[in-house]
Amino acid sequence: MGLIYALNGLYFAAFLFLTSLGLSIILGVMGILNLAHGSLYAIGGFVAAYFIGMMTGSPAVLMLVTAAAAAMVLAGAVGLVMETTLLKPMYKRPLEYQLLITFGILMLIEDLIKLVFGGESRYASAPFDAMGSIEITGHTYPVYFLFVMGITALAGLFIWWLMAKTKLGIMLRAIEMDRDMAQAMGIPMRRLTVVAFVLGAALAGLGGALVVPTTPAVLGMGMDVLIMAFIVVVIGGLGSLKGTLVGSLLVGLTRSFTVAFYAELEMPLLFMIAVLILVVKPEGLFGQK
Amino acid sequence: MAQKTNRRQFLKMAGAAGLGAGAVSVMGTKALAAKKSIPKTPIKVAAISFLSGPAAGPFGIPGDNAYKMMADVYNKQGGILGRKIDLISLDEAGGAKTQVELARKLILEDKVDVILGYISSGDCKAVLPLSDELGGLMLAYDCGTHVLMEGKKSPYKTPKFQLGFRTSAHLGQDNIALALAIKKYMPDVKKIAGINQDYAWGRDSWHIFELAIKKLLPQVEIVKTLWPKIFTTDYTAHISALQGSGAQIIHSSLWGGDAVTFIKQAKAAGLFKQAKMAMSRGEPYPQELGAEFPEGQFLCCAGAHYFLYPAWDKWPLNKWFVSEFKKRYGKYPTYPSYHAYQAITAYKTAVEKASSLVGGWPTMEQTAKAMGNLSFETPSGYCVINKDHNAREDCLVGISKMTKDYPFPILDPQRLEVFPSFQVNAPAGLTTEEWIAGWKS
Amino acid sequence: MTNYLFSSRALGYLLALIVLLLLPQVLSPYHLTLVETGLSLAIMALGLNLLLRYAGVLSFGHGAYFAAGAYAVGLLNMYFPDNFSFELAMLASLGVSALVSALFGFVCVRHTRIFFSILTLALAMLMFAILEKAYHFTGGSDGIRIPLPTFFGIELTGMRRFQFLVGPYYYIVVGIFAAATLVMLAVVNSPFGKALQATRDNEVRAEMVGIRVKRFRWYAFVISGTFCGLSGGVWSFVNGHITPEISGWVFSGEIVYMVLLGGFMIFEGPIVGAMLFTYLRLYAVAWTEYWMLIVGGTLVLLVLLLPGGVTGGIAGLAARLRPGRGGGRG
Repeated sequence: MGLIYALNGLYFAAFLFLTSLGLSIILGVMGILNLAHGSLYAIGGFVAAYFIGMMTGSPAVLMLVTAAAAAMVLAGAVGLVMETTLLKPMYKRPLEYQLLITFGILMLIEDLIKLVFGGESRYASAPFDAMGSIEITGHTYPVYFLFVMGITALAGLFIWWLMAKTKLGIMLRAIEMDRDMAQAMGIPMRRLTVVAFVLGAALAGLGGALVVPTTPAVLGMGMDVLIMAFIVVVIGGLGSLKGTLVGSLLVGLTRSFTVAFYAELEMPLLFMIAVLILVVKPEGLFGQK
Repeated sequence: MAQKTNRRQFLKMAGAAGLGAGAVSVMGTKALAAKKSIPKTPIKVAAISFLSGPAAGPFGIPGDNAYKMMADVYNKQGGILGRKIDLISLDEAGGAKTQVELARKLILEDKVDVILGYISSGDCKAVLPLSDELGGLMLAYDCGTHVLMEGKKSPYKTPKFQLGFRTSAHLGQDNIALALAIKKYMPDVKKIAGINQDYAWGRDSWHIFELAIKKLLPQVEIVKTLWPKIFTTDYTAHISALQGSGAQIIHSSLWGGDAVTFIKQAKAAGLFKQAKMAMSRGEPYPQELGAEFPEGQFLCCAGAHYFLYPAWDKWPLNKWFVSEFKKRYGKYPTYPSYHAYQAITAYKTAVEKASSLVGGWPTMEQTAKAMGNLSFETPSGYCVINKDHNAREDCLVGISKMTKDYPFPILDPQRLEVFPSFQVNAPAGLTTEEWIAGWKS
Repeated sequence: MTNYLFSSRALGYLLALIVLLLLPQVLSPYHLTLVETGLSLAIMALGLNLLLRYAGVLSFGHGAYFAAGAYAVGLLNMYFPDNFSFELAMLASLGVSALVSALFGFVCVRHTRIFFSILTLALAMLMFAILEKAYHFTGGSDGIRIPLPTFFGIELTGMRRFQFLVGPYYYIVVGIFAAATLVMLAVVNSPFGKALQATRDNEVRAEMVGIRVKRFRWYAFVISGTFCGLSGGVWSFVNGHITPEISGWVFSGEIVYMVLLGGFMIFEGPIVGAMLFTYLRLYAVAWTEYWMLIVGGTLVLLVLLLPGGVTGGIAGLAARLRPGRGGGRG
């Protein structure tokens, strides 16, 4: 049973990783806590559910790839519009405006989703059902969960490669470390900021796309995710890839084991950890101040 | 205010006249009825259900659709006492705080004639007291928490609210019926676990089920109780915990998207190989999930609300309701649709009854008085609203089974258990807990 | 100049008070309950603005102290129903919120900027999680009903809440609101208020001239939190029911919304904001299913086009109409 608890934790961590990474990048590079980040995840979920619904009867992997691609493109596009029109004028404004505008965007997107997709939940479980289950040490385990972990690992590797090995990544990290210095060095801030934002949005969209085969896409699905991602970012550290990974694992595993052994503590414990880290090391485990 | 008092005095006088004059009063009432006119304006009826969010698909929309259908049907028959029903559908989303604010507006500013609403038990607990506090007639139509109408101590004050009603039976009946069905079909069960949402509905459902099952089957051991947050999307951790507990039966009052998500994830994780579900309001989910829904699970229907029960040849009203609903919305009605029928029909019946007594269009208080002791036919049989302002119904528990007639499992017609209302509902004045404690197993 | 300003402000306040006291003669009962809601929330908005405008830090978790005040009332009723009097309830909400904000504030004031906001947000969510999970002590997500209290020994049995709300309670709310406004005005104009602004403008320089920055910020935090608590206590009777969502981040965000809607650069701005927000949100909810589009759209437009809020916009307009004279800011 312990192995299964650990697998569940890893699975949950995989989702958190995808959805928190964008939040973390945006916070790290732009210094904005994007409250609308969960809504990008919700867009991904609804778009993917729509596509999976359209493709009933196709092979599971094809459905998933199409849905995930569509979700990433759309969430990325919404991110692009949001960044270039609404957020751009905010970078020089005080904190309260930055936070509030993302709060406003969150409300707008929630209702726009309702306008476009209707208020009802959207089921899209065909890929989940099609993949079935396998036996792991005598316990049945859904293949789809393993699939999600695999995809997340790939996405994580890709981001790591991008950040560590490409010029783009190096410039992004330079901005995170010292914005003014980076600007002085002639790094094209504006273009990079857009790239980082769209990347984060697309990852959130991917997270949403991967979740809908297991649970219907519903209005408000972004809210809970935002809170969980917030905890991860606070624990791991703003803008740190390593931090997001560690934070996701910590939150995922903590949740899985508290539910198994002392379910009452689930949420309070996670917030307690977050507050403790904020008090002791406000920049998070791996973040730079 | 002054007008109200006048009317009340008038009513007293009318009542005294009626009593005193005996047989002559028949003519008297008629004269009164003729004298009191009925306004021509439409009746403002606010129907509040979840129209968006996770509870919209399985509850709010089937409920709201039934409201729309019945308002339409009644309007075609001439409305209520000749007045058309002007139905305003409103969204229950936004949490208890928003609902309290909305109800305050509906009663004080919009002055609606009646509010038919609320699916969430949390919303009911927050909003129903407003009926008396602000002076507005309110019929809770679907929420289940038993403490809504029951007091803390027995005998409790009945009715708890003068102008607040619930036109369906509370969760006591679902969970007691489930326990009775388990006793019949699995009398040797040893280990039972529960997964219920962390709010009034889940907490109270489990509380009553635990009391009833322990009384009926004393050998049962409760091996795990889980309280996921409402609208949880990932149940993997909970499912593993349930598997680890070795439970044979898992009691659950999960509803809506939560129920769907849980069943899907549990099926893939193999939970149903070792355990059966006992779902206190499981009736809508086979239709929702289709052939994916596992067979052999105990499903309660929140009353006797099922599209195949009562049998169509015995109870034509069910046939009419199901066919009309299917014709309009392309789906079979689920229990929230039946509950919506009960609410709007309870209002109509009570207004007509009050009017036949006092003549003219009855005041809110007169309608409430008439509703406090009301019985009427519904597509599921009879609904009785008791003096505690809470309805009583028979309760149906079935076991899911795939047949060739429907693309989803139905309740096995060979194993339909219908428990009469007195067997699953505490009598008025006694709390459900005390009633169960008094059973001689 | 100051004297002139002060007297014109005093005159304005007196007028406003008279208008408020006369409202029951003209407004429908329903609107009175809305005004009550607005006034009780205004106390909280004033509290938040002490931190935002004068201490220069943004709390995105002030719902926690509002909830502390409201739950103090709720729990008092739950556990001591026989001693449920209004004066005790108010004392409890003041005391509990002061305590909670002193505790939470102690850890928060060591940070500024986004870290301060994140920490306040996390603490509010911690409070939320505890209120929601401690089902047996707090009623969990169902919350607690707030019945009518006794009032200095006067029993209100037999009175409908509605009559209470549009009758005596209206004047109580106006009274508490007026007192709170005057106290806050005194605070921001006191030497303490000036010192606080110095810490906002330049932390290092303030430290150099001997202001104990963190200590001062902490005091401000406690005052601010206590205002929120009082607001929560007063509001709980208006609403009649409290749930943990008032400690959630959405409500905390709405508080900031109110302050910015009214305009945080002008002392009275948050009051205007709380009132406007109450009306905006409720009418949007009642008018359309897509109310978030309205409330959210208003917020986005506000941030983009009217950063000074409504009062800021009016002051700006007035200043433009009368060139050469500054507006009465402060």
